[in-house]
This record gives sequence, structure tokens and C-alpha cells, in this order.
Amino acid sequence: MLKRVKEIIEEQLNLENVDITEDTRFKEDLGVDSLDLFELVMAFEEEYGVEIPSEELEGLTTVGAVIDYMKDKGVDA
Amino acid sequence: MKTRITELLNIEYPIIQGGMAWVAEHHLAAAVSNAGGLGLIGAASAPAEVVREEIRKCKELTDKPFGINVMLLNPNADEVAQIVVEEGIKVVTTGAGNPAKYMELWNKAEVKVIPVVASVAMAKLMERAGAAAVVAEGTESGGHIGSATTMTLVPQVADAVSIPVIAAGGIGDGRGLAAAFMLGAEAVQMGTRFVAAKESIAHDNFKQQLVKAKDIDSTVTGMSTGHPVRSLRNKMTKEYLRLEAEGADFMELERLTLGSLRRAVVEGDVVNGTLMAGQIAGMVKQIQSCEEIIQEIVAQGKTLLKL
Repeated sequence: MLKRVKEIIEEQLNLENVDITEDTRFKEDLGVDSLDLFELVMAFEEEYGVEIPSEELEGLTTVGAVIDYMKDKGVDA
Repeated sequence: MKTRITELLNIEYPIIQGGMAWVAEHHLAAAVSNAGGLGLIGAASAPAEVVREEIRKCKELTDKPFGINVMLLNPNADEVAQIVVEEGIKVVTTGAGNPAKYMELWNKAEVKVIPVVASVAMAKLMERAGAAAVVAEGTESGGHIGSATTMTLVPQVADAVSIPVIAAGGIGDGRGLAAAFMLGAEAVQMGTRFVAAKESIAHDNFKQQLVKAKDIDSTVTGMSTGHPVRSLRNKMTKEYLRLEAEGADFMELERLTLGSLRRAVVEGDVVNGTLMAGQIAGMVKQIQSCEEIIQEIVAQGKTLLKL
């Protein structure tokens, strides 16, 4: 799943060849602000067909947290 | 002027006063509500009990609806959220973040939640989380700002959500109101024009700077910190921008602005204070009562909209 998540992040933020691991932090490492995060959430939702309630966003600070969330919701990828 | 917003908020005119820190206190909020708009008390970073006091004082001055702007970065936001419910407030606008964690509490208490949004994605997620409306605020606004303009943001948000949209940023007269309606908004939120209102407690020096301001007199500081702020240019903004261009670190910049809004609003220090104001400041020509401001805007707006 990491590979696809990395592609989505790159596409949404117009970045290329970023070093993204499960430990990558959105804010500190990628410079994602709160508005970018809303964009990313919508893109992840569309990709995986999972709705991320807005109150969950505070906890989703790293790439790994998003992947875990999706897996928790039964996404198999 | 009936719109979904006037119906939702039970107000006469689709005009909302912004929840500006320090300025949006009970005198101003009550005056705007008494004039048929919706006044807001800006909780900003105030201690929760101060917010409760403000609400109670406002109730003494008006029996019309008024709301609270909850600044979500306030460390006391949890307590303020609770006080809103305890005091029977029915409208909340939120700024500086994502109000989702309070949605259940507020919706259960029949508080209408109206987040201020700066993007389409945020508007959509807020609608899904239970917002009753959104304020689409363009970068023309004073204070903390996003990057999209009102002209571009409002129609895109209006297309993306089915809840009503309130336009904010760069609106100061009936033409602005009419234009906002053309873009798909059903109400406007104004800050700068109300800072200069007779009932506003902003220091007279601040108000006079607004009256004097020309079209290009606002500037944006703090781009490098990720929290840009629009205010009238003065010695403080000049120094800030110089330091920012030199790559000064966050703490050094913070030192300039610590308490600077209070200095401008309360002490009238127009040299070293932060005179938060929008680009529309150039159109503020005189100090008027909230009643006069609202009547003038509504009359002009109605004529233009052929209502």
C-alpha cells in the first residue's frame, strides 16, 4: 500500500521522487498544512473507498497512521 | 432579504460580523444583532470564563440571536465549546482548524456549526461532518488568511456543497454583498467595516487608521511561518517583513507580534501594534453605527440585486 500512498501524496502535493516511508510525518517532513491534509484525505478516501471522519484527522499525522487506518477498515492492498 | 442563512440563523439581514480577536466583544456583537445582522463574540484566546461573561453581558444588551467564534487553537477551546452549550448559544463559527471533535456535542445541543473554510475540500468534509453552513473566506480578509481569493473560492465552494455558503473577505459595501450573492453566497461576513463601527471598542487611533487607509495599505506578514496575517502596514510590519526576508527564526518574529494585536486594539498603538484589517480597509470612509452600516449595505445590495 505504501507505494500507492506515496503516489497519491506526490500527485496531490505536486512533488516528485520524495522519500516516503511509514514514518514520514505529513507536517514536519512534507510541509503539509491543514488545507493540504484535507486534500490528501479526500484523495485517500477516493482511492480506497473508505470514509475518514474529520474527527479522526488529528491522529493521522504520519503516512503509517493512514495505512494502518485503511487496513483497520478492511482495505486489503 | 430572505436567504437560507437568514432562515437558519433567524436574522433579518444576511450580514454576519466577523469574530475578530479583541474587537468582537459584547458591545459590537449586540449592536450588530440589534441592527438585524448576526453579531459574533470572538472567543479567540480568551479564558473560558471570560467568554461566559461576554456572553452574559451580550444577552443584557440584546434579545436577538448572536453567536460565538471559537478559535480552535485556543488551549481553552474544549471549555469554550462546553460554555457555548451551557449558555444556550445557537450559532458557532469556528476558525483555525477542524471543529469535527465538537460537532457531536454542538449538534446535539442544536447549535448550528459554521466553520470558516479556505478550500473546497475542507468545505466538503465539514458538510459531511454536520456543518449547517460554511464561511468561505478569501485572502482579502484581515487577520489570519488562506490563499484563495473570495472571487475564486466562493463559487467553487458553492458548487461543491449543498449547505448555504457565507462569503467573507473583501466585502465592505452593498456592491460586495451583491457580488457575493452572484457568486453563490447567501450571506456575507464582514470584519474590517465593523472594526470601524461606532460601537466597536477598538481604540480610536485604530479606527482613524482604517478611515485613512488606501487601497494598497494592507500587507501580509508571516508567510514564512505558515500562518500569514493581513494587517495595515506600519513600522511593525515593515520590521517584520525585513526580518522575514533575512530568514529570521520563528521566535524572533514572534517577539514582534506577541501581544501586538492587543496593543493596537486596546492601547491604540498604531506604530508597533498589529492593525489587523482586510484589503477593503481603503473603502472604510467614516465611523458609523452598526445600524447605519447595515442599512446602507442592504439598501445598496437590494438595488443592485433588483430585490
